[in-house]
Amino acid sequence: MKKMTRHKGAVLASAAMLGLLASAAVAAADAPAETRPAAKPAAKIPNARAAMTGQWNRYPEIDEKPHPDFPPAAPIPPPPLKAQYKAEYDALRKKLAEAEAAGKPLYSNYTACIPDGMPAMMMGMFPMEVLQTPGQVTIIQEAYNQVRRIYMGEKLPAFEDAEPLFWGHSTGKWEGDTLVVETIGIKDNVKFRDTPHSNQMRISERIRLLSPNMMEDEVTVTDPVYLDGPWKWRWMYKRMHDYKMLEYVCESNREYIDETGAARMKLGK
Amino acid sequence: MNKSTARFTRAIVLGAGCALAAVSVAFAHHSFAMFDSDHQIKVSGKVTGFQWANPHVYIEMDGKNVKDEQAQVQHYTVECASPGILTRIGWKFNMVKAGDEITVIIAPLRTGEPGGLLKQVTLPDGRKFLNGGPAGKPNIE
Repeated sequence: MKKMTRHKGAVLASAAMLGLLASAAVAAADAPAETRPAAKPAAKIPNARAAMTGQWNRYPEIDEKPHPDFPPAAPIPPPPLKAQYKAEYDALRKKLAEAEAAGKPLYSNYTACIPDGMPAMMMGMFPMEVLQTPGQVTIIQEAYNQVRRIYMGEKLPAFEDAEPLFWGHSTGKWEGDTLVVETIGIKDNVKFRDTPHSNQMRISERIRLLSPNMMEDEVTVTDPVYLDGPWKWRWMYKRMHDYKMLEYVCESNREYIDETGAARMKLGK
Repeated sequence: MNKSTARFTRAIVLGAGCALAAVSVAFAHHSFAMFDSDHQIKVSGKVTGFQWANPHVYIEMDGKNVKDEQAQVQHYTVECASPGILTRIGWKFNMVKAGDEITVIIAPLRTGEPGGLLKQVTLPDGRKFLNGGPAGKPNIE
């Protein structure tokens, strides 16, 4: 926490300078320079094509009082599953909740140190780093060292040709100052909130800066096989100042599943 | 206010207000349901090992429940948050060492095994540290 507040002024100033340098580089690479004003007043949102670069924390953090200018996003609604899948899903969620309440949590991917994948990695469990380079936006989530690469202007493969991956295949484009990302090709066992999906699932994101230090990701998931309609929610992030991302290797997992199916902790000596 | 007091205060501020949220927030690695946060205990003793790694940091210690007069010294395994969460609230990788006399407040394992989830640790120099937002704060002194 200390790192985030210390030398804030100096960091803001140097971030703004870096932003200007980076925006010049990016402008040359993938946008016509004449659409860009030469200078902007400090209060305005800087050029999104460079200014998303940096470290971001989920907002509001567990202990954080939201800023009145940035009300927190609404809770994520349940998935609009088709009727034939909803009963099974509800039963699974009930079983998981009951196991929790009984103090015997069941297996989840985390039990085996398996990372979130998409879209869960964008929840910002731990700090997240955005790197904007010519032709590519790279997002790194500190938890599990997760990395996703968004290739600007790339054509996505057909659903049936998209190799299933944790973070899938992502293409990006700019609509004004909004980064619009389409992602397909997520593995079957990468289930956001235990929700099943087909290989036709598409994750659409609209990522934009709300201010120089606030960012949002508006997520829409569609899946003609499992979902009746779009599943939408929003995640928000707050810029971290003077933060260096940490490494994360899930090397000393002590969790295991016992004979009853409950997650347990291995005791040391 | 010296540096360590400031850090402690910050840790307390961080922990405050998160107890209610703790059950519903995303946790770094797993559910905390295996720990009984309603019946926390205080254990004092000697550190035998400190493992600073993901997904969780562990303190191994030989200690006893200070509020139980019949208690014998036994080995406790204390689960802490991740190195990242702890670093962000002021912990350091070398802050706890084998041989240190420490006191911990833990949410014990529901199975009754000698171990639990850290709520607060008191180091030999008196500094106290919480275990980050998701783990919640102590409810006993």
